Amino acid sequence: MTEFATQTTTDGALHLILDGPMTIYNASEIKAQLLNALKSASILELDLSHVGEMDTAGFQLLVLAKQESLREGKTLRIVAHSPAVRDVIDFYNMDAFFGDPMIIPAEH
Amino acid sequence: MLVDDSATILLSISNILTKAGYAVEKASNANEGLAKFKSGIKVDLLITDLNMPGMNGIDFIKEVRKLPQYKFMPILFLTTESQQEKRAEAKAAGASGWLVKPATADELLNTIKLVLR
Amino acid sequence: MEELYSVFAQEAREQLAAMEEGLLKMEQGDQDPDTLNAIFRAAHTIKGASGVVEIHHIEKFTHILENLLDRLRNGEIAVSSEIITALLKGCDHIGAMLDRVDQGLMDEDPALAAAGEATAELLRSFAGGGKEKMMPEASVATVERAGGEAAISDCWHISIRFGRDVLKNGMEPLAFLRYLLNLGEIVHLTTLCDAMPPAEEMDPECCYLGFEITLRSHATKEQIENVFAFCRDECDLYILPPNSKVQDFIELIERLPEEPMRLGEILVKTGAITQEELEQGLRRQRAAAKIAAATEQAPPPLGEILVEKKMVQPELVEAAAAKQKQVAEKKSAEARLIRVQADKLDHLIDLVGELVIAGASANLLAQKSGQTNLVEATSVLSRLVENIRDSALQLRMVQIGETFNRFNRVVRDVSKELGKDIELVITGAETELDKSVVEKIGDPLMHLVRNAMDHGIEPAEVRLARGKPAKGRVELNAYHDSGSIVIEVVDDGGGLNVEKIQAKAIERGLIQPGLTLTEQEIVNLIFEAGFSTADKVSNLSGRGVGMDVVKRNIQALRGTVEVKTKAGVGSRFIIRLPLTLAIIDGFLTSVGNASYVIPLDAVVECLELKEQDTRGHMLNLRGEVLPFIRLREFFDIEGKRPQRENVVVVSAGGQKAGIVVDQLLGEFQTVIKPLGSLFKHLRGIGGSTILGSGEVALILDVAALTQLASQAEARQSLPAGHAPPALEAR
Repeated sequence: MTEFATQTTTDGALHLILDGPMTIYNASEIKAQLLNALKSASILELDLSHVGEMDTAGFQLLVLAKQESLREGKTLRIVAHSPAVRDVIDFYNMDAFFGDPMIIPAEH
Repeated sequence: MLVDDSATILLSISNILTKAGYAVEKASNANEGLAKFKSGIKVDLLITDLNMPGMNGIDFIKEVRKLPQYKFMPILFLTTESQQEKRAEAKAAGASGWLVKPATADELLNTIKLVLR
Repeated sequence: MEELYSVFAQEAREQLAAMEEGLLKMEQGDQDPDTLNAIFRAAHTIKGASGVVEIHHIEKFTHILENLLDRLRNGEIAVSSEIITALLKGCDHIGAMLDRVDQGLMDEDPALAAAGEATAELLRSFAGGGKEKMMPEASVATVERAGGEAAISDCWHISIRFGRDVLKNGMEPLAFLRYLLNLGEIVHLTTLCDAMPPAEEMDPECCYLGFEITLRSHATKEQIENVFAFCRDECDLYILPPNSKVQDFIELIERLPEEPMRLGEILVKTGAITQEELEQGLRRQRAAAKIAAATEQAPPPLGEILVEKKMVQPELVEAAAAKQKQVAEKKSAEARLIRVQADKLDHLIDLVGELVIAGASANLLAQKSGQTNLVEATSVLSRLVENIRDSALQLRMVQIGETFNRFNRVVRDVSKELGKDIELVITGAETELDKSVVEKIGDPLMHLVRNAMDHGIEPAEVRLARGKPAKGRVELNAYHDSGSIVIEVVDDGGGLNVEKIQAKAIERGLIQPGLTLTEQEIVNLIFEAGFSTADKVSNLSGRGVGMDVVKRNIQALRGTVEVKTKAGVGSRFIIRLPLTLAIIDGFLTSVGNASYVIPLDAVVECLELKEQDTRGHMLNLRGEVLPFIRLREFFDIEGKRPQRENVVVVSAGGQKAGIVVDQLLGEFQTVIKPLGSLFKHLRGIGGSTILGSGEVALILDVAALTQLASQAEARQSLPAGHAPPALEAR
């Protein structure tokens, strides 16, 4: 299923790479991973460029993580979007909510 | 996956779906369908009749929902105008929606579009 | 599409048969609710399938039937014999409509439609005043546009808050919302996450989202509603049509769970209403609410444009569900069936036939070569081929029960028509025989059963006078007997009147007066062409179709029919049919250069013919007198008798006879090729086959030969050298 990799960047942010789907089938696992990562750092960077599939459940978890970060005065940034993620955020018209620049990665 | 004990309905629906480019796995009763699910094949949508000999459609839906791989798969059940009370029961069992039979090809394909991820 | 119609017709017929069976059971006092449920289910299936194939007149008619059945099932009306008769009539009408489908005609026959309307009227009258039960329709709220200040928007406004469980039920809000794009253009969409709980309480499999959507579309309200049909029960859904009144928006805001000002901003942003309209509206609403509170009145009712939420359907009673399960389990055995097109099966049988011939040929060659390894290999092969043959033929075997069950209805209808009380007793329904035989045996059986009821069973007063129960009895029996299937039609009626038959036969010139015939021979005359003994011509018989046709039909199936009768006790028609029409195990013999195959099932034993044991055409078989036929004489084969002749003792229909041949060549698998029509009347020959060597061999009709031999015995003598003409008809 989905793999998670973390690393700490030079400015002290935690960089979390999600590789795999973000759907209802693994929503519980992703929720736990996101909240854990958020607990352990004040700045969380999400690299979603390897998320091949995202549904409403996956999208909700991004919203949840964003709300939690705001509630706790932390920073959540989505630093890379896969086309699937971009589609969902676009359709739900939530770019402004996340406030992240949608960087369209060069063709792999 | 299409499950119905009526050969007429199996054939007509699968004709429409195949023509629209979907791959259709057929089963003529719930047990057969369940066996196919348990073999782990990839299924994006289940369309099943409710009134079948052997395991009925409601129990079938419940059984399919118990399988982790298909826990959130869209499930449509076939119903008729006169089976309103069945709908609540099927929904409670975990069905996503229904198809009123007889459905035209358009109705069928549109409904599928409505639930297919 | 052709295939679809034939699948439909076949399925509908099966369901129709199930309905009839159930109805007849009910008529005989079966009160099991499962029976009625099964009938209802069958009608329901026919209705559904006819709708799918778009034969709407069948669908419509079956609906009327189903309606009546539903009311019976719900106990709203009581079962009566009149209702069952009406329902059976309905079944007949469906059957008639299916006949038309079989002919490839999908439209309604006007004459049939008129007849159907009468039946439909009858059914409706039982269902109650021609009223059909109306199913509740989803209420479609009417849109009120007149009056009030129209808001500026020319778009639909959709507010939806998804239920918590939509994701768990396999629904995807994205799919619903994206579907709106099929109806028009989403001008604006706002996602509301206000319902999202704190992280620890949030269930990742629940849905907490809501949406405010502005949709520019020509769709109707119903069309938009239908997009959310599957989740309507669990969602809060409000749809405002284009140009709705500002007041309607204000009311919407009040109804929604979010902060009014926040929603208001969204609506202003989407262009549904202006800022000014919003503020005015909200002020007015609050004022109204205050007044309402002050006067303790209900708050202003919601505008009628708001979509009414449907009531949650009550859960079905546990007991009803359990009952359903029982019915289902009963039927699960039927579910393990695969439908195969008959011609595919025929093709397979054909191929197996060829395989058998080719195998026999290989076997022959192997034996000639004398190579042990090869002989061994081919014998393994032929054993496998034998197994394949048996399995392939088994595929064609069907139980005769379905054919028999049809007669329940026939007996019921005919006995009513005749005013006689007659019961039908079926045994051996599970006996299997070839499908093509089953298909063709229906008509002869029908004739025999009708005859038994019409001519066989006496009127009640006669029966009582004879000391028999008033209720007549007709039996249909089936069983296996030495490689054949035997089907019997038995009645406990008056039996055949031998004197009357003889008189009639003389009158018709079938026999010469003064000729002494055995009783059995006289009785057999009823199978001669143009024979009918009915005193009065009734509706049922005397249509010119006589027993001769029955006999011919059965002979066409390589079968025989005979009758045993006893005055005052009843008659027994015995039909003997081959198990299959395609392949038999044969016993190969030869006379001169010609080869003959005797079906192995019929062979009892083989022995050498010893001149001293014979007297005329009688053979002393260990003290038993056995009639025999010398094939050389029977078929007029040239050449001299060899030094040693062999007798194959055969048995058919309980009679034994000897067939004298030159040589015994052993067992041989025989693929039966039918004889051309030219040879149809050839006596003693049942078919032909091709030997492994490519030669043709004739297959003997053992039953006919046995009969010939015993007739000769009955007359005590058959002039030596008598050779009956082989080709009667030509």
